[in-house]
Amino acid sequence: MSWDGFVDGLRTGVVWLMDITSVPILVYFAVINLSYLLLIVLASIDFRAQHRRREAVVETFGGALSPGVSLLVPAYNEEMGIVTSVQALLSLRYPRHEVVVVDDGSSDGTFERLRAAFDLVPIPRQIPQDVPVRARIVDVHVPRDGRTRLVLVRKENSGRSEAINVALNAATEPLVAMIDADSILEPDALLRVTQPFADDPIRMVAAGGAIRPVNGSRVVSGRIVKVQMPKPWLARIQVVEYLRAFLLGRTGWSRFGALILISGAFGLFRRDVVVEAGGLDPDSIGEDFELVLRIHRKLHDEKRDYRVGFVPEPVLWTEVPSTLGVLRNQRRRWHRGLWETLWAYRGMVLRPRYGKVGMIALPYYWVFELFAPLLEFFGIIIVPLALVLDVVNIPYAILFLSLAYGLAILVTLSAMAAEEWSFHRHERWRDLGLTLVASVLENIGYRQLTVWWRLEGWWASLRRKKQVWGVMTRTGFGEAGE
Amino acid sequence: MTGRDLLWASSALVLLACLALVLLIVLTKVTRTVRERRTAELVAPHRPHLLAVASGEDEGGTHRDALIEVDGPARDAVDVVVVDLLGKVRGAPAEELASVLLAHGAVDRAPHDLRDRSTLKRARAAHILGLCHVGAALPLLVQALGDPAPEVRVAATRALGRIGEPTASAALLAAVGADRVVPAGPAADALEGMGVGISGSLRDALSASSPTTRTVAAYLSGEGSFSRSLDALRVALACDDDPTVREAAAVALGRMGRAADVVALLRETGADRPRALRRACAAALGELGEPSAVVGLTALLGDPDPRLAEIAATSLLLLGPAGRSALDSAASNPSVETARALARLQAGAA
Amino acid sequence: MTAVDGIRVLVADDDPDIRDLVEFKLTQAGYAVQAVGDGLSAWEAFQEQAPSLVILDVMMPGLSGIDVLRKIRESGAATVPVLLLSAKSRDSDVDTGFAVGADDYVIKPFSPRELLHRVNGILARVR
Repeated sequence: MSWDGFVDGLRTGVVWLMDITSVPILVYFAVINLSYLLLIVLASIDFRAQHRRREAVVETFGGALSPGVSLLVPAYNEEMGIVTSVQALLSLRYPRHEVVVVDDGSSDGTFERLRAAFDLVPIPRQIPQDVPVRARIVDVHVPRDGRTRLVLVRKENSGRSEAINVALNAATEPLVAMIDADSILEPDALLRVTQPFADDPIRMVAAGGAIRPVNGSRVVSGRIVKVQMPKPWLARIQVVEYLRAFLLGRTGWSRFGALILISGAFGLFRRDVVVEAGGLDPDSIGEDFELVLRIHRKLHDEKRDYRVGFVPEPVLWTEVPSTLGVLRNQRRRWHRGLWETLWAYRGMVLRPRYGKVGMIALPYYWVFELFAPLLEFFGIIIVPLALVLDVVNIPYAILFLSLAYGLAILVTLSAMAAEEWSFHRHERWRDLGLTLVASVLENIGYRQLTVWWRLEGWWASLRRKKQVWGVMTRTGFGEAGE
Repeated sequence: MTGRDLLWASSALVLLACLALVLLIVLTKVTRTVRERRTAELVAPHRPHLLAVASGEDEGGTHRDALIEVDGPARDAVDVVVVDLLGKVRGAPAEELASVLLAHGAVDRAPHDLRDRSTLKRARAAHILGLCHVGAALPLLVQALGDPAPEVRVAATRALGRIGEPTASAALLAAVGADRVVPAGPAADALEGMGVGISGSLRDALSASSPTTRTVAAYLSGEGSFSRSLDALRVALACDDDPTVREAAAVALGRMGRAADVVALLRETGADRPRALRRACAAALGELGEPSAVVGLTALLGDPDPRLAEIAATSLLLLGPAGRSALDSAASNPSVETARALARLQAGAA
Repeated sequence: MTAVDGIRVLVADDDPDIRDLVEFKLTQAGYAVQAVGDGLSAWEAFQEQAPSLVILDVMMPGLSGIDVLRKIRESGAATVPVLLLSAKSRDSDVDTGFAVGADDYVIKPFSPRELLHRVNGILARVR
């Protein structure tokens, strides 16, 4: 076949492909972005009113019904920051909370630092196996003063999820919060996030809070003292990403009554419910997502009336990746976790017995979270190809791209408008301007990279698990490709 | 080509929408800044008077009179600050501030505003009625507990708490379990502010149909040691459908129960009961402090649940000499040793 | 009144109303008051100004009053009297405040007159 013949064939193929896909893809784009807009509207409906009310609650410092909270802190080789973190956690504003640190077999001075700082002494306590844990418990320590509410459990190394399960077993309060040792909680985070539980003590089983990147802000003694935009654009774009994701992805869903994702970096749960559900799954990659889905499935199976809440104010600050390499790993892992969990819980999809979670939230995640990068990737390939082959002209391609990315920017801007309208955290005009610029820049390069990384994560999972899943894997992927 | 036209139109639309949003964001920020500045400017000349009144440095009431004199747009701005300050000071200055609101007619307007279309206005009206302790507004505030806007319901709840009139307690307890729900937290706070007069409604609420109402009632009964609730609490502990209510009843009985309640609490520590309930009851027995619980608690020391065993041991330590000697003669195990070690640490620190 | 003239008092509260109120009341009584709006500024002002008494709000953005109090007690000027002014009204909160080393604890909503009496009392005792 001659070169011209090949090009002609390819051109025909691309034209055909574009003919059959352009309308569905545009529809997909329109629906995904409209759904985002809908979620934003849902989120901001009584944002301000709720916000004002929560401020009042924070002012009066919790209420009569504020339940006790155990903070579960897994620590693996954290000798640098562990003492500051624990001190900051112990001094959170809350009437009743304890800190349970589980040293996951650290090989550095994590334990020694803690022992020196809090004057720890060993006690012979046996940790109950409310949730079965495979790893052996080494010992348990408490501060000598008998008053500081800190418990340190040492165990053999077996990973973060098991460490959290041990902490869960050792916890004594009715609510538990899973927290990474290196993140920074707002001083009144517990006051805010326990509020849904105080307001609805029977039905509320889990609640999340918004997370923001800490990069660039000033931190003293484990506290944020000044919120600032980070300098590198990579982190700035992530600030915009987090803002949008938490505003619509979480607030909107919780208003709608079908929140299925609470970030592992900060989630508050009823202890008894997590125990009944069996704790975190140590073998899962998306263990936070998996736990919330498991709770949904269990409580629906038992036909219990329950709620999962969300507090839109930022409660936790976390260091986001500042290099492409780390970011890539994070996104690969996230998408892999998303895929494996969605796949594991595919039985809940479109089953009326699982209510809004099964009928709407899960299908939505399948179509718009899992497959989004695949479709976007298709677009990234086909549009330049069509340009090169002269199937479409340049104005047309620009038009197409500006529509696609314009919609994405529109969504981000709506999130920013909702934020500006309700919390107005950006006190400085400069920060607001930077956020605006970042929301546009996000679409040039960053977006395409994350699309690729997410596909990488998905692909890695499919390949590695092939032997375990056999035929099913291919079916799953076949559906995805069509 | 219609597809192309459509693409053009939608692109233009999206671009326009983006620009509109940017404009909206900027406008929101500008409006807020301008509004805040204008309010500050309006209040600024009167700020010394406000501070003088609020800090109780207003001999002869000249500053208060100056505030009452304020007219025009500044009056509303001043009222907002007065309402804010009212929530921050107490004693004589608070009464002086309230008198300013009264003179400005804000208090008289409040009952009317409680029916306004603006959510903000309704919530503010409820807030003012509470801050100024307008007892006559009680029926209106009770009615506002069923307001469509949650914000107004909470404001009414707090206002009822501030007024502290116990006749509103039954309505408030019912509202906690109503369809237009009043959040339990603020409701419990408000009820705590109503004093002993709520004992009757607490007892009745323990047999309400909503488990949330029952939980709040059980909790408050224990906090305030309302003995009229005792019988209902016993029933709740033994046979309530909801585990949370049973735990709340156990805690309450631990606080205020009688010797007779030892048997009931011990029964709920049985191996077939939910784990959380067993633990709550074992802790409640220590809190109760009746030596008759010694035998039952001793039996729990060897329980397969080490947490329950530790709680039982801690409770025994709280039961005086009888409990301590029972603990001494019991077979030693890590749970017993932990309870002892913790007690020693606490004693050492005290 | 002259007895207290010029005695430096540091006030930290994130609520401008409370800040102004306390500043006004204490200034009227003859104290030299410096008011700041957050915990970090409070700590910095404490190191620079060496006040004779500190009034701290417990709930402030960034460093809390308890954090600042702890820093003061660990510093070279550990004996400076500190009064906590807080909306945290539970026994456990008051316990925490005193355990960290507060000399007094006033609950909001507060009576400015009572606050002044307490400030006078503490300073009379330490002098």
